[in-house]
Amino acid sequence: MTSKRPGIAYIMKYVVFVLIIGFVVLLMLFMSGSNKPFEEVSKSVEDSLDTEALTVQDTAVFKRNFGLNAADYTGVLYYSSGANMSAEEVLLVKVKRDSQVQEVVDAIDERIQSRINDFEGYAPDEVKLLEDARQSVRGTYIFYACSPDADRYLSIFSGSL
Amino acid sequence: MLFSSITFLFMFLPIVLAVYYLVPYKVKNIVLLIASLFFYAWGEPVYVILMILSIVFNYFCGRDIKAKEEDPRRAKFAVIFAITGNLLILGFFKYYGFLIETINSILPTNIPYRELALPVGISFYTFQAISYILDVYWKKAEAQKNILYFALYISMFPQLIAGPIVRYVDIEEQLNKRKMSASKIGVGAMYFIIGLAKKAVLANTVGAVFEEIAGMPAGNLSILTAWLGVFSYAFQIYFDFSGYSDMAIGLGKMFGFEFKKNFDYPYVSKSVTEFWRRWHISLSTWFREYVYIPLGGNRCSVSRNIFNLMVVWTLTGMWHGAAWNFVAWGVYYGVILVMEKYIWGVMVDQLPNPVRHIYTGVIVLVGWVFFFSPSLGYAMRYLLAMIGGGAGIVDATGAFLLFTHWLLYLLAVIGSSSLGLKIIKSVIRAPRNQYVQLVVAAVIFIGMFLISTAFLVTGTFNPFLYFRF
Repeated sequence: MTSKRPGIAYIMKYVVFVLIIGFVVLLMLFMSGSNKPFEEVSKSVEDSLDTEALTVQDTAVFKRNFGLNAADYTGVLYYSSGANMSAEEVLLVKVKRDSQVQEVVDAIDERIQSRINDFEGYAPDEVKLLEDARQSVRGTYIFYACSPDADRYLSIFSGSL
Repeated sequence: MLFSSITFLFMFLPIVLAVYYLVPYKVKNIVLLIASLFFYAWGEPVYVILMILSIVFNYFCGRDIKAKEEDPRRAKFAVIFAITGNLLILGFFKYYGFLIETINSILPTNIPYRELALPVGISFYTFQAISYILDVYWKKAEAQKNILYFALYISMFPQLIAGPIVRYVDIEEQLNKRKMSASKIGVGAMYFIIGLAKKAVLANTVGAVFEEIAGMPAGNLSILTAWLGVFSYAFQIYFDFSGYSDMAIGLGKMFGFEFKKNFDYPYVSKSVTEFWRRWHISLSTWFREYVYIPLGGNRCSVSRNIFNLMVVWTLTGMWHGAAWNFVAWGVYYGVILVMEKYIWGVMVDQLPNPVRHIYTGVIVLVGWVFFFSPSLGYAMRYLLAMIGGGAGIVDATGAFLLFTHWLLYLLAVIGSSSLGLKIIKSVIRAPRNQYVQLVVAAVIFIGMFLISTAFLVTGTFNPFLYFRF
């Protein structure tokens, strides 16, 4: 009796399928958002903020600084420094649809670039803050922090999902 | 990267075209593959890995099915595994959250889940991969030996993000050998410019009117505003999607490929059945070839045929999105098409043409309400407003939008029928001299391109509607 040895394609398709499962697991661990309500996530982020350096801003300031309408999204939390000479700000947005993610990311990129242009030449520390700003897209949540504590804020945001 | 972005138009496309035509013939597929992966990675730097893994998975599945062609039982198992694998990946990204939400809403549970963004184009490239697997299994096509050529089939940037869904059997030969010429590049450029103008000038402008109306509570809409809203959406989705398809077909021609047309003036249809022969042809063809016919098609009993049609249309609805309004939209068309086939189709055929146009138009417009609504409740409130259950017959908003946009709607009507192209052709052919005709054509198309670019530069971010599917 003879038995056919499995071919390379037979083995490889299972190997690649396992790799796909592994990749999805990694995505779930490091890139996924959650179905937690915006209020819950924003509260965790808000509680961690340094409120001496940052003050909550309304939708008009959000519109002026990012060119976006807060009403288009499930939720927006925006804190920035009251001082003109400070680039510090923290933004959390939950979009209604996946297709809105890119427009928010683009708006944040534009905001960073425009602030770098503002501060370039006379406020190198603020430019450095902007260059080191942290951004994260997790599912329908988009987070942006420009602050000396940006890493801590980002980790609190990730943990709150 | 969007076809309608300045980066694509003035950097990516010219560079890729130049390199593609400078390199030897043997290397062209590799250039196009690298460009396609770069194009996808530009917007999806992480999900490009998923697409590459999907390519490698389907390549080996195809080779495995080929290796087992002498043993039908093992080949069948291999094809079931391949299709299940593809559907599991698509299902996980597209329907996992929807499933949990549905369970949470039906049962007294609050199951948490971690949501992931939908990889752009996954519905399109997964369907192409399934087409390859089944074409190989049914021996309509050979299993591709060259993984780079197969990768190009799945990832080719002109049709990667939003179709048309190219069946493997239709492109197999072209992957190995295709004709390229200056005149083909020219024709491709014309297709591309027409598509760009449809998107940048018509879809985005009429879409802005729709967004304004959709932003109002459905209960506050007058009959006029509600109908204006649904007409605007109908034009937006047509120009947006058919514009993308025209651009994809044009780009394909520039690189020597021939893709089948995806739209054939659907709004001139005189029945719903005809509408679906003219709208998103590649998706309808896919479902017909890979679901409807394998289920038995119409060569079976009436009850079985009705079942087959309902399965296909429910799946078509679900393909468009993980939400109950899409399911309702699919079922709605399933029921209408069954009715047209078995109950009132003959009667519709005997009606005068204007009545048939109105009949089809009303059904299609009602269908778009289900399609654009964020929920079934909103769809019902909107439909109610269309028949007078909102804020009366005419209101100031509707009247203002109509009077300020009537020219746009006129252009949209002309552009969505063959009349638009006929007018362009007659203007080009008006002069007798062939060289003058060429100059007129150049002026028209360069003009369209410049106007479209001006709209893009001054407009806001406007992704294609079908990206979300």
